[in-house]
Amino acid sequence: MTHARESSAGALPGVVAITAVSGTAMVAVLATSLGLMPLYGEPALTGEGWRAAAPDLLAGVAETLRIALPATVLAAGIGLALCALMLRPGRSAVLVRAACLVALAVPHLVGATSVGLLLGDGGLGARLLSGVGAEAGWPALVGGPLPVATVLELAWKESAFVALVVLAAVAPGHRERVQVAAGLGASPRQRVTRVLVPTALPALAASSLVTLVYAVGSYEVAWLLGRASPEPLPVLAYRLFGSIELDDRAAAAAAAATGSALALLLAVPALVALPRLRAALASGVGA
Amino acid sequence: MTTAAVVAGHTHRRRRWAAGAVGALALAWLLVPLLPVLVWAAAERWPFPDVLPSAWGLVGWREAVDAGLPAALLRSAGLGLAVAALATPLGLMLGRVLGWGLVRRRGLLVTVLLLPLVLPAFAVAMGLDVVVLRVGVPDRLAVVLVLATMALPYTALTTAAGFARTSPDLAAQARALGATPGRARRQVVLPALRGSIVVAALLAFLVGWSDYVVTVLIGGGQLVTAPVLLGSAAAGSGNEPVTAALAVATLVPPVVLVLLAGATGRGRRAR
Repeated sequence: MTHARESSAGALPGVVAITAVSGTAMVAVLATSLGLMPLYGEPALTGEGWRAAAPDLLAGVAETLRIALPATVLAAGIGLALCALMLRPGRSAVLVRAACLVALAVPHLVGATSVGLLLGDGGLGARLLSGVGAEAGWPALVGGPLPVATVLELAWKESAFVALVVLAAVAPGHRERVQVAAGLGASPRQRVTRVLVPTALPALAASSLVTLVYAVGSYEVAWLLGRASPEPLPVLAYRLFGSIELDDRAAAAAAAATGSALALLLAVPALVALPRLRAALASGVGA
Repeated sequence: MTTAAVVAGHTHRRRRWAAGAVGALALAWLLVPLLPVLVWAAAERWPFPDVLPSAWGLVGWREAVDAGLPAALLRSAGLGLAVAALATPLGLMLGRVLGWGLVRRRGLLVTVLLLPLVLPAFAVAMGLDVVVLRVGVPDRLAVVLVLATMALPYTALTTAAGFARTSPDLAAQARALGATPGRARRQVVLPALRGSIVVAALLAFLVGWSDYVVTVLIGGGQLVTAPVLLGSAAAGSGNEPVTAALAVATLVPPVVLVLLAGATGRGRRAR
């Protein structure tokens, strides 16, 4: 018993670091939003920051979900397809895996910069369309009425993450499972729907959840590729945080608190209700 | 050749063609988004609507160097190394507890570990910015501490997987042969975990190298890393060759490191 306690004590520094950093940050964000931690002046409990930010907060939550949900669905679907390709024997699987590693390693800021130069008004896409003599103009994918470029950038990079996590989960024993299914008369399509998909589901759900909460909190991509209004919560919070009006700090903190609450609301019920998801997440991130 | 054999040959060729097309589509999805920065980084003039640059050259790189790219890359490397130096041993200690099942409430520990993944980095940075200012922690130290905490889920869970594959009996056997606990750890357990430790350190390095929002918010604009330099160029300069050069310089080190780690991992598995 004593030995077990001594052994588990190794977790203490890490747990203390995480709870201290995350806990302090969340308490400070809430206190700032309520006027209890002003940059200058006396602290005073007030809901002014929340009142000032309220109209933008609702629009911000909607815009955040308008980005995060489609990006997650696309990343999950494409990630699963990429994983299926990597499970095939042959050189193309090795090339796809290397390309997934490249996409995964690219910082989102670099990805957003490049996607802006690909899908923007004077970007590579518009040049190619003009080169083939198309009548229709290039649509406003960057900064347009729908966050298309933002969604595509997140879906692109996160699909590589999903693919590699799912691959790590299903690759061991996959060939044997498929051979058994084929021996029992399963068609190629059935081998995907009845063998690959059920085996991949826990890792797919876990990596999709990570993608969803990442997209909810992602700043750089929407900042570079999104429209000016409405802003997703991270962009709204960052703009208010850098405002020269000191009162905007409380509104920025209200946006940050809302973003954190949204991420927790999406992640915690899933993690609590599904211990298998938690286990898949733990092994998936570590894979 | 019989009709059946000809039909089978056609079907086989069609399947191979379809598989090749799907593979090419996958590679295009993964790599085409990076094409614009790679081309722009080697372009001097690329007027719209030309499909290719009208003049090639390194003007973007020269201007990027003048804007402070070498120093920014060094700062990024320093930040990545500092984050890895802190997050890897802490993650290793957590990984041992998780991987060897030394804790009764494993679910609770995993939930705590996942907090830095769930909470948005911008919100954590905004909350801590005020605290760091009041407590008087130096900006750079605060950036390293916060990023190391954010890297902990990756280092802990990666090394946990390594510990799970390594029997705790190894250390017990070394101790039965007369090794001290420290020597058994250093000479028996850690070498067995070398692969996991390298991957964990790499992931922590990438967290430090790639970060933008924590570095800007807590660093207060004083810590100009490669992503910070790129962010200001991409948001406002309108100078595509410089922006692309900064982007390529920021992208190459992590890509090379990850590909090397991937190749090493494959080699180890193949052996």
